[in-house]
Amino acid sequence: MESLMLSIVDIRKSYRVGPTEVKVLKGINLTVEKGELLAIIGPSGSGKSTLMHMLGLLEKPDTGTYHIDGTQVIYDDDRVLSTLRNRKIGFVFQQYHLLPKLTALENVCVPLTYRGIKEGEVRKKSLEYLTKVDMQDRANHRPNEMSGGQQQRVAIARALIGSPAIILADEPTGALDTKTGEEIMDLFHRLNREEGITVVIITHNPGLAEQCGRYVKIIDGMIYSA
Amino acid sequence: MRALCENYRRDDLFGMTLLQVNFREASRSLWGSRQRSLLALIGIVIGIGSVIAMVSIGTIVQQEAVRQFKDMGIDIITIRKSFSENKKTEFNMDIIMRITEEKRNILTVAPYLTSGTEINRGRQKFSMEQMGVTASFFDLNKLQIRQGRAVSELDQNRYFCVVGDELADFLRKTGTSKILGSQITAEGRAYTVIGILDKVAEGGLRPYGMNKAMMIPISTALRTFQTPEISTVMARIAPHVSITQIKADISDYFGKKARGMQVEVTSAEELIERMKKQMQMFSLLLGAIGSISLIVGGIGVMNVMLISVSERKSEIGLRRALGAQQSDIQSQFLIESVILCLAGGFIGIILGIGISYLFAFFSKWQFIMSYFSIALGFGVSTVVGVFCGFYPARTAARLDPIKALRS
Repeated sequence: MESLMLSIVDIRKSYRVGPTEVKVLKGINLTVEKGELLAIIGPSGSGKSTLMHMLGLLEKPDTGTYHIDGTQVIYDDDRVLSTLRNRKIGFVFQQYHLLPKLTALENVCVPLTYRGIKEGEVRKKSLEYLTKVDMQDRANHRPNEMSGGQQQRVAIARALIGSPAIILADEPTGALDTKTGEEIMDLFHRLNREEGITVVIITHNPGLAEQCGRYVKIIDGMIYSA
Repeated sequence: MRALCENYRRDDLFGMTLLQVNFREASRSLWGSRQRSLLALIGIVIGIGSVIAMVSIGTIVQQEAVRQFKDMGIDIITIRKSFSENKKTEFNMDIIMRITEEKRNILTVAPYLTSGTEINRGRQKFSMEQMGVTASFFDLNKLQIRQGRAVSELDQNRYFCVVGDELADFLRKTGTSKILGSQITAEGRAYTVIGILDKVAEGGLRPYGMNKAMMIPISTALRTFQTPEISTVMARIAPHVSITQIKADISDYFGKKARGMQVEVTSAEELIERMKKQMQMFSLLLGAIGSISLIVGGIGVMNVMLISVSERKSEIGLRRALGAQQSDIQSQFLIESVILCLAGGFIGIILGIGISYLFAFFSKWQFIMSYFSIALGFGVSTVVGVFCGFYPARTAARLDPIKALRS
């Protein structure tokens, strides 16, 4: 248990689409160890987005248990779930999802503002994390003044700033060209290797998956170890 | 395990800081879409502005009315011939003057008659009131003599006059350097100026147009006016006597002495009460108009907030993913709507005060800032903000984070 960052046991989820019930996750078991770089690979429609949302505490499973960093997730209180998301999870999205009206620095600040930390401290820390992803020169730029790769770096800094237990990256290179994608992957590898950050990357690209320490396949709502 | 989760509750941790953050985020997002914010504000500005203007003007008018009466005292009444009275009966000078002997509740009387006229100085014309007055008239109306003296009992049938402030100004402008002792020709007769009055506030029971008037002895007026008829009798009444008693005394007196003449009595006290009631009605009516514009403005704000929520779904989803609680999202939008309304309220208050200032300025009334109306303005705009922001904010807070993120 000590070395486990995340474990899900027999997670099931189905949606009702009209009269039919669609089973999306059919009993998933998965563990991620501390300091691991795991890729979850699967074709579209395999349930990998739902799994990602499940891991990110954005979705409640029908059944099954989820432990993250030693805490069992209880789903009935929005405040607890929000705080867990805030403290334990760093999201990186395919479309970056930076707030367009905020500068890079301010975007990185957002997770910490929900912790009630003093502004000066947050900005200092934000700059520190921007430096970590080599974006310190762009601190005062807005998203529309940055390239895709730069925006994704800012998003990664935002995911890191709260010192989460785990980084969840959903197709982080999906909107980038090959070379930039590789640079982003290098950044994940470096953070994982040098800082021991636990990363879960969800992708449909087998090439990316193979670079990771370990990868599992999700096909039709079931996990298969590679 | 449950206990571990409890550690991640955040209820009481950072109330203030989060509020500050939300406040800043809200201001920023409003500034970001300032054109729309401004349009939404117009309704609120007009609403608050009219409420403020209306309440302030109401206060100013009321204050002014009360001030005029306070100026003269509330122990004054006027007696006029009843409208239903046959035209043949007239106030008789002797009868009027003797009322104080028979009715002890009447302390002083000051009958007067007026006639509009015009004087010419070179090419300049001045329309004014010619008033026939008694010596008591000056005291009853609290008229201050700036220079010279008032009309006295000894001036009977003399061609003397006391001039009002504006008339004195006119004389000065048209070349009379020493007004006292100079002559004014009105209706073909020359009057010597024996006194100049200070400016007096108009209204209440005071006769109309005293600042523009020339006041001559009533005996002179009764001989020279085209209609030499006493129109009004002003009187000072004894304190602590009910107005009903006074009225009874007066009708009794004129009924007996003047062949059943019917009179109408107006007391300052009654007039104040009536005016206050009218003002209250006025304020209420104006307040209602303001409220309607506020409702319209509020709907505008709600609409803008709903648009804002639906445009920013993805932002809401993202914030939720980054750890914002439902209550964070709700307060973000609520604060946004309150800021919007407060900004509108602020502009509205300035507008309202400006309007009431102009109103007072052009009415030549004393402008007073109604702090109550300012507090009311801020209070009302906050309430409108919370009220109209609540539904959009709750909608935002209850969005499914995943669906919101995808949009």
